[in-house]
Amino acid sequence: MEIVLFYIAGAVTISATCLVVTRLDASHALVYLIVSLLAVAVIFYLLGAPFAAALEVVIYAGAIMVLFVFVVMMLNQGRRGVAQERGILQPRMWIGPGVLSGVLLLEMIYLIASQTATTAAVVVPPRQVGIALFGPYLLAVELASILLLAALIGAFHFGRRYMRDRREGAE
Amino acid sequence: MIAISIPLEHVLVLAAVLFLLGATGVLVRRNVIFQLMSLEIMMNACGLAFIAGGARWGAPDGQIMYMLVLSLAAAEVAVGLGLVLQLERRFGHLDIDQASELNG
Amino acid sequence: MNLDLLWIVSAAPLAGSLALLVTEGRLPKAWVAAIGAGSIGLSAGVALLVGIAFYDAGQVAYAQTLWTWIDVDGFTPRITLQLDGLSLVMMGVVTGVGFLIHVYATGYMAREDGYSRFFAYMNLFVFAMLMLVLGDNLLLLYLGWEGVGLCSYLLIGFYHLDPANGYAARKAFVVTRVGDVAMALGLFLLYREFGTLEISAILDNARTVWSNGSPICTLAAMLLLGGAVGKSAQIPLQTWLPDAMAGPTPVSALIHAATMVTAGVYLIARMHTLYVLAPMAQLAVAVVGAATLFIAAVSALAQRDIKRIPAYSTMSQIGYMFMALGVGAWSAAIFHLVTHAFFKALLFLAAGSVIVALHHEQNIYRMGGLWRRLPIPFACMLIGSAALSALPLTSGFYSKDEILLTSFAFGASGPWFWAIGSAAALLTALYTMRMIVVVFFGEQRTQTHGHDGLNMTVPQLVLAVLAIGGGWFGLAPVGAVLPDGGLGSHHGGVLAGITMSVPVVGVVVGWLVFTHRDRWAGLRETRVGERVRYFLASGCGFDAVYDVLIVRPFVALARANRNDVVDAVFAAIAALSRALYRALAATQTGHLRWYAVNMALGLALMLLLAIGA
Repeated sequence: MEIVLFYIAGAVTISATCLVVTRLDASHALVYLIVSLLAVAVIFYLLGAPFAAALEVVIYAGAIMVLFVFVVMMLNQGRRGVAQERGILQPRMWIGPGVLSGVLLLEMIYLIASQTATTAAVVVPPRQVGIALFGPYLLAVELASILLLAALIGAFHFGRRYMRDRREGAE
Repeated sequence: MIAISIPLEHVLVLAAVLFLLGATGVLVRRNVIFQLMSLEIMMNACGLAFIAGGARWGAPDGQIMYMLVLSLAAAEVAVGLGLVLQLERRFGHLDIDQASELNG
Repeated sequence: MNLDLLWIVSAAPLAGSLALLVTEGRLPKAWVAAIGAGSIGLSAGVALLVGIAFYDAGQVAYAQTLWTWIDVDGFTPRITLQLDGLSLVMMGVVTGVGFLIHVYATGYMAREDGYSRFFAYMNLFVFAMLMLVLGDNLLLLYLGWEGVGLCSYLLIGFYHLDPANGYAARKAFVVTRVGDVAMALGLFLLYREFGTLEISAILDNARTVWSNGSPICTLAAMLLLGGAVGKSAQIPLQTWLPDAMAGPTPVSALIHAATMVTAGVYLIARMHTLYVLAPMAQLAVAVVGAATLFIAAVSALAQRDIKRIPAYSTMSQIGYMFMALGVGAWSAAIFHLVTHAFFKALLFLAAGSVIVALHHEQNIYRMGGLWRRLPIPFACMLIGSAALSALPLTSGFYSKDEILLTSFAFGASGPWFWAIGSAAALLTALYTMRMIVVVFFGEQRTQTHGHDGLNMTVPQLVLAVLAIGGGWFGLAPVGAVLPDGGLGSHHGGVLAGITMSVPVVGVVVGWLVFTHRDRWAGLRETRVGERVRYFLASGCGFDAVYDVLIVRPFVALARANRNDVVDAVFAAIAALSRALYRALAATQTGHLRWYAVNMALGLALMLLLAIGA
């Protein structure tokens, strides 16, 4: 019976994602993306991964998407941007990629459907995840932190140049 | 906290559909912001697949992998948006098809 | 003990050649002359000592092995010098006549450029010729064969600044090459049959392996004949010899009269067993010889150049040697080889003196009345011509008459060979008289200059003595080697009388005709006369035939292949590579979405493969 929840959440996700891809205004698309992510968080919860669900909401929807929003607001495309998009995005451009994705979807479904299994209805609490993180996956954690450091430096560099260019452009 | 048993194929098919929607977005949209968003959709779909795999066995490994994917997405978005700003600065627009000087 | 010195005979010229090549003309002329002529002199001296030792040892065949040349899978030719009657005679001719010619050349070439180069090449030639005659296996012989061919090319084209000399040298090389290929094929065949190239082994085993008239034996003999024909300028490979007169006169004397062109005769004489076992091949030898001796004699009648007359004469005389080999007069052929070396070298040296005295004028019709001014060349030419015509008691008389008389006795076709030989003897007398009369008698048309030194006169005198007396002692050493056991004695009978008188008649007729040649001028200048004279002067049209049959098609083919079909294949590979590059470069458009599409396509294909598997 509870499986209906899964299907509802899945439907929300898919429709929100479809809308993300087809919007003309960037801000609208971002909002729909956030909706999609929240729906996925529900699915995570149903799968017995509450910690992942929390992370999804807090980091993915809460930090990364917010970052997107900030940048979009900085760029300030507005109505001009919407008009531009309308000009660029024509219906006939969807045919090719649509066909390609359809073929890929069929192939993937074929490959997936050949297995049959069900998820174990077991909750994996955050405690277990934490123990695994500081145990066998310690190295992965360290690597991830180095990756984030690299991204930090890169973003800092780009941002500084942007600010400098902007200041020079304004003068 | 609840956990239900769902047929694994259904979750994976959902992940596949989300992944391909993101891929279509990358292939179709010319605006860089939309492409980055589509990439995020794809990565999220991968994360869903991992969680599903972890849930199959009731092990924390799926969630850990999902966390690594998450940190990757964060890093990528940070640098990517910085690039988007530079792109806008230099070209004056966000059309990625116009930025094709690296050819031949 | 003295026999051990055999290796010096061939080493001395080689050392002389290397010394002169290395010093490249930096030595003073006197030194070059000393090294160049001295090395051959040393060689001749040692050859004499070795000859004496050979006689003292009872004329037993002697072989001196220096080292093993190749050692591969059972094929081990050695550098072995063998000494028997035949090689002793050849060695004597090469070193003796060679030494005299080298001394002459020190005077003749004194005013030319490239003095050192000349003697380096000449010494190298003598070395190669000695390897040819002293080698005990066919591979060593072939080494000498190719070596003399190379030196012939180098020396014909000695005056290399004139391209015509280069053409003549190349012509000689290419035409003899055709013969060399035939000879190489013969060597391959012999190796396949006997597993070795040692001459004595082949000749000893030939009788047991092959029966009389065996087709393989005939084939091998014919192939070797092909090589001999090329080197000895017989029909059909004779076209190079008249043009080879472009080289300096000492070269013509040594290479194209006395030694290299006789290499073919030596080869056939050495491999006599093969020819005895293959009568058809031996008959072919005789026919080739007979044809050449006649055609060359006729052509010599129409030549204007003082060097081309002896050139065609050489062709003709070697034809006699081939005919002798063909009818089984082996010793007579070698005997004629020796006497011919004497008088032909003499003729060339004397002609060289005349040429030098007239400042390199070579057209006999621009000479005349020189018998008073150039007495020694005149006398030498006279003696040489007498020997060439085989006038009684000269050396040529003994050898040529021996050949003619033996050929008469050769089966059913013998008299024909005799008839052709005698007719050609008449012609020989005619053309030599023509040369003597036109060059030395009548009015003098060109002034003479200068005076020959001793180094040019003495060799001519020595050769003149040999040309007269060289035939009196027969040729004993060869008898032990050749199947006919030495020269016969045919000095009696009607036939001998006729044979002896033919050249005398020719000399008298020639004298009469050519001293009064103005009366015949009318006949010569008719259209038919002109055509005949042109035809004869061109060596009976062989050059024209080869031009049409071989040269023109080849040149046409080369021109058709101007863009080099084979090169087009390689160019195609390069073009393919470039086309692939362009195709690949077209995929790098710079559009991000295009790359993404390709990635998706690739993914689709891989999944398809995964499903298929």
